[in-house]
Amino acid sequence: MSLFSLGIARGLVGQTLGMLVGMLLTVVTRVLLGWEAWAAEPAWTVGAVCSIIGFLLGVGALDDWLQWTKGIDTPLHHGPPADKPAWTRYFSVDYNHKVIGVQYTVWGILLLMVGGTVAMIFRTELAQAGLQFLGLGLYNSFIGMHGMIMIFAILLGVGGMANYLVPLLIGAEDMAFPRLNALGFWFNVPGSLLLLLSLFIGGWDAGWTAYPPLSARGPIGYQLFFLGVFAIGLSSIVGSLNLLVTLLCMRPQGMSLFRMPIFCWAVFATSLIQLTATQLIGVSFLMVSVQRAIGMGFFDPRGILGEISPLVGGGDPVLFQHLFWFYSHPAVYIFVLPGLGIISELLPVFSRKPLFGYKWIALSSMAIAIVGFLVWGHHMFVSGYNDILRVPFMYSTLLVAIPTGVKFFSWLGTMWGGKIHFDTPMLFVLGAISVFLIGGLSGPILATVPTDFPLHDSYFVVGHFHATMFGGFVFPFFAALYFWFPKVTGRMYNETLGKIHFFIMTPAFWVQTLGQMGVGVMGMRRRIADYDPSLGNYQIESWHLAVTIAGFAIAFGVLLMLWNFFQNAEVGVAAGDNPWRSRSPEWQIPSPVPEHSFAAPLRVVGEPYDYGLADSGYVSTATPGDD
Amino acid sequence: MANNRRHFVIASVLIVIFTVLVYWLLDGVLLKPEAAVVQAAPIDNLFDQHIWLIAFLFALVVVFMCYALIVFRARGDEGDGEHMHGNTTLEIAWTVIPCVFVIYFAVISTTMLFDITRPHPDEYVVNAEGRQWSWLFTYPESGAITQELVLPVDTPIRIDLTSDDVLHNFWVPEFRVKQDSVPGKTTYVRFTPNKVGEYVLRCAELCGLNHSGMLAAVRVVSRDEFDLWNSEQIAQIQE
Ligand code: HEM
Ligand SMILES: [Cu+2]
Ligand SMILES: [Cu+2]
Repeated sequence: MSLFSLGIARGLVGQTLGMLVGMLLTVVTRVLLGWEAWAAEPAWTVGAVCSIIGFLLGVGALDDWLQWTKGIDTPLHHGPPADKPAWTRYFSVDYNHKVIGVQYTVWGILLLMVGGTVAMIFRTELAQAGLQFLGLGLYNSFIGMHGMIMIFAILLGVGGMANYLVPLLIGAEDMAFPRLNALGFWFNVPGSLLLLLSLFIGGWDAGWTAYPPLSARGPIGYQLFFLGVFAIGLSSIVGSLNLLVTLLCMRPQGMSLFRMPIFCWAVFATSLIQLTATQLIGVSFLMVSVQRAIGMGFFDPRGILGEISPLVGGGDPVLFQHLFWFYSHPAVYIFVLPGLGIISELLPVFSRKPLFGYKWIALSSMAIAIVGFLVWGHHMFVSGYNDILRVPFMYSTLLVAIPTGVKFFSWLGTMWGGKIHFDTPMLFVLGAISVFLIGGLSGPILATVPTDFPLHDSYFVVGHFHATMFGGFVFPFFAALYFWFPKVTGRMYNETLGKIHFFIMTPAFWVQTLGQMGVGVMGMRRRIADYDPSLGNYQIESWHLAVTIAGFAIAFGVLLMLWNFFQNAEVGVAAGDNPWRSRSPEWQIPSPVPEHSFAAPLRVVGEPYDYGLADSGYVSTATPGDD
Repeated sequence: MANNRRHFVIASVLIVIFTVLVYWLLDGVLLKPEAAVVQAAPIDNLFDQHIWLIAFLFALVVVFMCYALIVFRARGDEGDGEHMHGNTTLEIAWTVIPCVFVIYFAVISTTMLFDITRPHPDEYVVNAEGRQWSWLFTYPESGAITQELVLPVDTPIRIDLTSDDVLHNFWVPEFRVKQDSVPGKTTYVRFTPNKVGEYVLRCAELCGLNHSGMLAAVRVVSRDEFDLWNSEQIAQIQE
């Protein structure tokens, strides 16, 4: 078997070739125009665009469609590769949603590790005041890089959970558009590679938010960063479209919307946001890219770029922030709604009790998704937009607290009166609740404008959003990994190691987030390479040290988890079909799930969460003739 | 049901105790800088009200959660919990009661916001220009241009902010308030220093390489000292 029978290897070659072709194209065009042949920025930009296409062609994500244009039929199911070992399908284009789900998840975890490593580097720098080993420029590149890599990782993790689980939870054979599904995944690979590559051609120094004018002036790395985000955005859009159609059209008879497993509601709300908001970040970054490339002054008030091009001025830097946050606030709910769905999905299983207030939880996801579209201005209270806008954005932001509260109280209602088991997935669910609580509660103090004045762009905000993202994504994602690991691999992870992971990571995270909020209130700005050790009566340094140590503890916990999975994926104790005694459809079929998940169409015979109701079931996987 | 009532009484007591504990912890960790402007008092007061609410809600959820985890833990049996799907009265209650808090905070924050940003008829104006990576202050009254911000105490101040390169942000932690400076327009921030002293202006909007070092000295001085300084500046210009 040769290396190039792996799609990803062909893709990487395609990406490199695409990059070269794009650069060549730029050089030739410039020569024909009579300009100087080589200009780094246009060459890299056009090269990056072509490199994405090159990757997709190389990996084969477009193969079936290209065949169709020639009138050649392709099979609906490709199945496992006939002439290669089964594992190779994970490295090539495959249309089975279970394979794609694993691909998303693994790529997401890889990015999580890269982003985490970057964070540990600058956390080490921050452990003491003064600059120790990172230069100012590298520090600035690293914080932006950490932020964006983590966002990619979260989007991939969300995609992994949604793609693997949704068809299983609704008993569908696959996603509605399997080819689009594969394309959606493979966009992520060239996208994240471009992002990483940007570090080597100058990086970019304006943080993940990339506000112009700064982002319109810095190194070339920005162009690759913008295009990387663009590729990931395309993935979000096609992926969410696919999920929406799957959820709406492929449910079995009897599964009304209010009888779906609750995670499906979370994915539905998330996908609605992804499908309708992602365009805005794409557009805002594209506009900066065009401003850099040809001097269109979208965000440039008075010709700062004068030397570069005559087409300058007349723009407004604040406009960028509107466009950017119109996506990026709803985006934070893309990150957390699926995680909150996981919490709601697992609590009944481990509490042995129906989900308390199913409809309220389902509708609160929708409410959060809708209100989330009306609050973007809370990131701009001091941006220089019209003062009066502060008021409506303050009100709409405070409103988000209400549907969020409904979720918390309903979770408490689910646990109350149950028979609670403390397996590792449940521990992570409980950790998630405690951490998301910290994140959510630190929101309103940022929403009321007078208290946001001191807190905006301080480290407090860093503490706030780490708590929301850890509580809303990382902890639930880990819970999901532990929970469905036996379903994916057919093996059990090591429970003791899982518990050790939990008991290291959770307290460490509390220290981290509290410390970050603390140094922010003391007066430390965010995104600074060095801080004033006299802040907080000279207490700031000990807090930074504590945060750094906590960060390393979290990293250790994550490595422990990965080792646990790695050890047990092949040789662990056989898990059985339904180790958690869950009522959900995916646990009624064998582990690992066979190529065609359900032998017969699923029939819905009851409510999803009727734990405690004797002789009831949710779905029947038998053919009607059997009973 | 009677059992439930006993549980609620115990949990309520625990919540009260825990609320105070959490407030005490947060109060110890979230150390506010010294307050050096009139506007700091209401802002800090609102901050403390938030911390009390955070402490209470944190205690509410965590106590109920931990209580349930202990009392309703599975004691080795494989049975199921109570078969109960929800309670509409409860759901409505915990939708409506938070609305009261939301309205309360919305109302006091709005009045406070208008209060602390209200223009003052005889405010003293200074222009501050942010540039990568330093500050330049212009006093329109005297024409003085300085690198250090000198302000008279107990006088309403308005800083007009401009920038010719990228975004910056005017923030003195002791003054609480904050405002971006934006190329292409003039933004402003108002405060009334009420404590003589030396502070540091820290740029709070990422502005490139040396953003962390974009600081300026701020000196709040008595009215007399300010007049003296002012006349020195004027004398210097006339030379
Ligand atoms: C009760 C709910 C919440 C409220 C009221 C709230 C409010 C706010 C406000 C007002 C800001 C702006 C702070 C500033 O820059 O001055 C902010 C920042 C942020 N919030 Fe939240 N938030 C809430 C929940 C969440 C959730 C669920 C997430 C999801 C992950 C989240 C993620 C973020 C992020 C990422 C930022 C900072 C973005 C940046 O400037 O880099 N928040 N939040
Ligand atoms: Cu937001
Ligand atoms: Cu700055």
